[in-house]
Amino acid sequence: MSIIPTIGMETHVELKTNSKMFCRCHVLDTELPNESLCPTCLGLPGSLPVPNKKAIEFITLLALSTNCSITNDGMFHRKNYFYPDLPKNYQISQFDLPVGTEGSLEIVVDGEFGTVEIERVHMEEDTGKSTHIGSGRIDSATSTHLDFNRAGIPLVEVVTKPLIKSSKEAVAYIEELRQLVIDLDISEGKLEKGNLRFDANISVAHEGDKELGTKVEIKNMNSLKSLEKAIEYEISRQTKMLIAEENIIQETRHWDEKKEVTSSMRSKEGSADYRYFSDPDIPNMILSNDFVNEIKTIIPELPSQKRKMFIETGLSIEDANNLGKNKNWIGDLYLSITEITGDSKSSFNWVTGELQGQLRKLEIKDLPNWVTAKNLSEIILLVKEDKISFTSGKEILANLIEQEIVPEEFASENNLIQENNIEEISKIVEEVIENNSEVLERIANGEEKLIGFLVGQIIKISKGQVNPSVAKELLLKEISS
Amino acid sequence: MMNNYKLPISKINQLFKNKELKPSELYAETFERAAITESIIHGHLELFQEENLKKALNSDERYEKGENLGTLDGIPIAIKDNINISGYATTCSSKMLSNYISPYDATVITRLKNEGALFTGKTNLDEFAMGSSTENSAFGPTKNPWDSSRVPGGSSGGSAAVVSAGSAIASLGSDTGGSIRQPASFCGVVGFKPTYGTVSRFGLVAFASSLDQIGPITNHVEDARLIFNSMKGHDPRDATSLIESKAKQPKLKNAKIGIIKELMEDGISEDAKKEVHKVAKLLEAEGHEIIEVSLPLTKMSISIYYLIAPAECSANLSRFDGVRYGNRVPGSTSSEMMELTRANGFGPEVKKRILLGTYALSAGYYDAYYGQALKARAMMKKEFTDIYEDVDYLISPTTPSDPFKFGEKSDNQLEMYMSDLCTIPANLVGMPAISIPTGLSSQGLPLSVQIMSPSNTDNTLLDFSESLESLVAFTEEPVINGVVS
Repeated sequence: MSIIPTIGMETHVELKTNSKMFCRCHVLDTELPNESLCPTCLGLPGSLPVPNKKAIEFITLLALSTNCSITNDGMFHRKNYFYPDLPKNYQISQFDLPVGTEGSLEIVVDGEFGTVEIERVHMEEDTGKSTHIGSGRIDSATSTHLDFNRAGIPLVEVVTKPLIKSSKEAVAYIEELRQLVIDLDISEGKLEKGNLRFDANISVAHEGDKELGTKVEIKNMNSLKSLEKAIEYEISRQTKMLIAEENIIQETRHWDEKKEVTSSMRSKEGSADYRYFSDPDIPNMILSNDFVNEIKTIIPELPSQKRKMFIETGLSIEDANNLGKNKNWIGDLYLSITEITGDSKSSFNWVTGELQGQLRKLEIKDLPNWVTAKNLSEIILLVKEDKISFTSGKEILANLIEQEIVPEEFASENNLIQENNIEEISKIVEEVIENNSEVLERIANGEEKLIGFLVGQIIKISKGQVNPSVAKELLLKEISS
Repeated sequence: MMNNYKLPISKINQLFKNKELKPSELYAETFERAAITESIIHGHLELFQEENLKKALNSDERYEKGENLGTLDGIPIAIKDNINISGYATTCSSKMLSNYISPYDATVITRLKNEGALFTGKTNLDEFAMGSSTENSAFGPTKNPWDSSRVPGGSSGGSAAVVSAGSAIASLGSDTGGSIRQPASFCGVVGFKPTYGTVSRFGLVAFASSLDQIGPITNHVEDARLIFNSMKGHDPRDATSLIESKAKQPKLKNAKIGIIKELMEDGISEDAKKEVHKVAKLLEAEGHEIIEVSLPLTKMSISIYYLIAPAECSANLSRFDGVRYGNRVPGSTSSEMMELTRANGFGPEVKKRILLGTYALSAGYYDAYYGQALKARAMMKKEFTDIYEDVDYLISPTTPSDPFKFGEKSDNQLEMYMSDLCTIPANLVGMPAISIPTGLSSQGLPLSVQIMSPSNTDNTLLDFSESLESLVAFTEEPVINGVVS
């Protein structure tokens, strides 16, 4: 009987509001500690929280975009626990009335569509940041430095149902969520900056078991790679234990990036008692239908919609998905080009591969205004119709990025137009065969890679104007005859 | 002849304007009064004399030029030490915060400063406003100006005592379950708890956020109105602060007034009942109609209160952990440091309430305790809303008895908690309530009646109270240190 893993993801998305969730402090991107503080985000006696309207708009956008039902009469709760970087020793969060419930998100795994079920989307405030000196953990550190710049920054927690089946699905889900918050323009979405932070709840069970296995929570995965590795490690650890009929403990485990193992952080005897109760400092969060409808009108094109549009041009699911991960103008450019060239695959390859590669190499962020869908299509078509070689196409592109040129004119002026005339090429082939009898003999004796050398000779004589594939074809024909 | 410090603020303001009295002179007078009374009363934890004398002189100048800011310009007001004044200690009468200096002003302080008010200092309270006698202050109790062997009430005992003793013209208190009205009653002065949300709580150290409300303690109802109207109004820094709404106002003439039956039964002293009947007669003679009304859930108010208030306080007081401010007791780990800090910093009553509240919110107990209390509170609100369909005002004793002696109730917690029986309903419901001194008990100690009205009818309640005040004409004053005020 096979063993089935079950994964649920909890993701914190840091919103890019100007000010914090419950006070007017600026959200600062700085390494200097404790630069953006006030009585409220520092939890001074007598301070009070006032919710940030922009953050509520942002979370409503996200909840709607993940197909959630919106809670019209929601509220904030206090989640009570003691930790030095939690200024009030309770976190303002949401409990049984979150902003969004019962949603879903389309994902792409291995070129196929999948769906991740969303359980809830709720609003909360971030904690401060602890830096433990001399140890990774607070109780063995010689000292702990506290930075409260982060305290009170609005966070959205997105919790999936425990229905994810593999590490690949989990990674695809995070990639999708990341793209979504970027497209919604509600978060920087930078994993390396901690704009998206995720924990995974993992259990294993025998196929057909009615109940899920014991849940283990994995923390400290800072990249998609570590997410994938940590899940795989944990599934195999638990699977071995299940086979050996060992007892899996409900606990939180820490992913060790260097050793690539998970280790126990703390066991949860039952579940922690956070003593949630509604925050008496904040009136109920009323999201009226009018408000929700207004938010609906500002939802931009979502990743799934972009994907659908790209697929309709003929791209594969995977290519469409990858194209959507680029800046919007890339997708738009692709659409214009593919309409002219009628070739989705090569349009995709040229836009996402060659064009983006060259721009990146030259560290150009925006496309020069003379580089248009029209002249880019011209290059693509020249290559497609074998009028120039792929290499020449790249050369023309590089020149186009530097200065305003007309690709076909540039090709002619620089002798890049390929010779496709068989008679002309045959003459050169014959000439090369005559002059390289020794090489031919070696080819006959099995040194087949010397064919390439001969093709090179043909191209050299033609000054690069011969279509290499045609030359090779003719050469082989001559040799075998 | 009355001393200046017992005059209504409007009269003092006239004297200032007519240049018959200077703010600095009045300020000095209150400090002379403090010199006589404080050694016995201990109402102030800190007196601001030095620093504020300059401010009093500035006020003199403004009146000199005819540029005074508001009616409160130059009026010395005492502030309960759980309300932040920037640059001064806010101790909440707790060892935990004995060295804590607030870096910001509470909104009420900002508003009073804008009016030109002066501050005499910070006044004593039960630690974190938890108590009814100031016996829970970490810095020693305040004594009742009428009899120093008796408590001044609490938790705003210091604020009530200093107004009664004349070392401040008025004071601010905070009222969570009667903490303004009960001490005002014990000290024979006026105490007003406004509608929840009319006065910003920003800068008031929270005890129970859904119940806490700042209000004035004064010698005269008109002073309470003046200070209330200077402080009230929406504050963008307090999400629970109300945006002024138009409520149906109770009648000022030929009003219908309900005596709450449940607050005239067992546990209420004969003296206290007698005051209510006396006042009822006076009102009846004025053409008002007096009826008896029954509000059965009132009897449950203490049970409801002692679940909701401790639950909220258990979270509100979590922030006192020695990490960012307050007195820290070192430990070998961070959690030990927090444990020792809290074990050392909080007094027994505060610890008891934190434990109570933590328990009431715990998994498996929430529904039976806190959840039930919320439901009962909602029912109680409805009971009062319904009764106001029929009556304009409700009347009851403010306290079940006259002031008790030190130690008299500290061994019997339930009896101590019962002293808030009459005042708690207003906090649970959110409505305004005022305590007005009306007479003396058989022991010669002050007694008061409490009047309540529907939420958002504060100024009408104050108008009505002012007319009652003149009907009652209570002019008794305490004798302190052999000196009549």
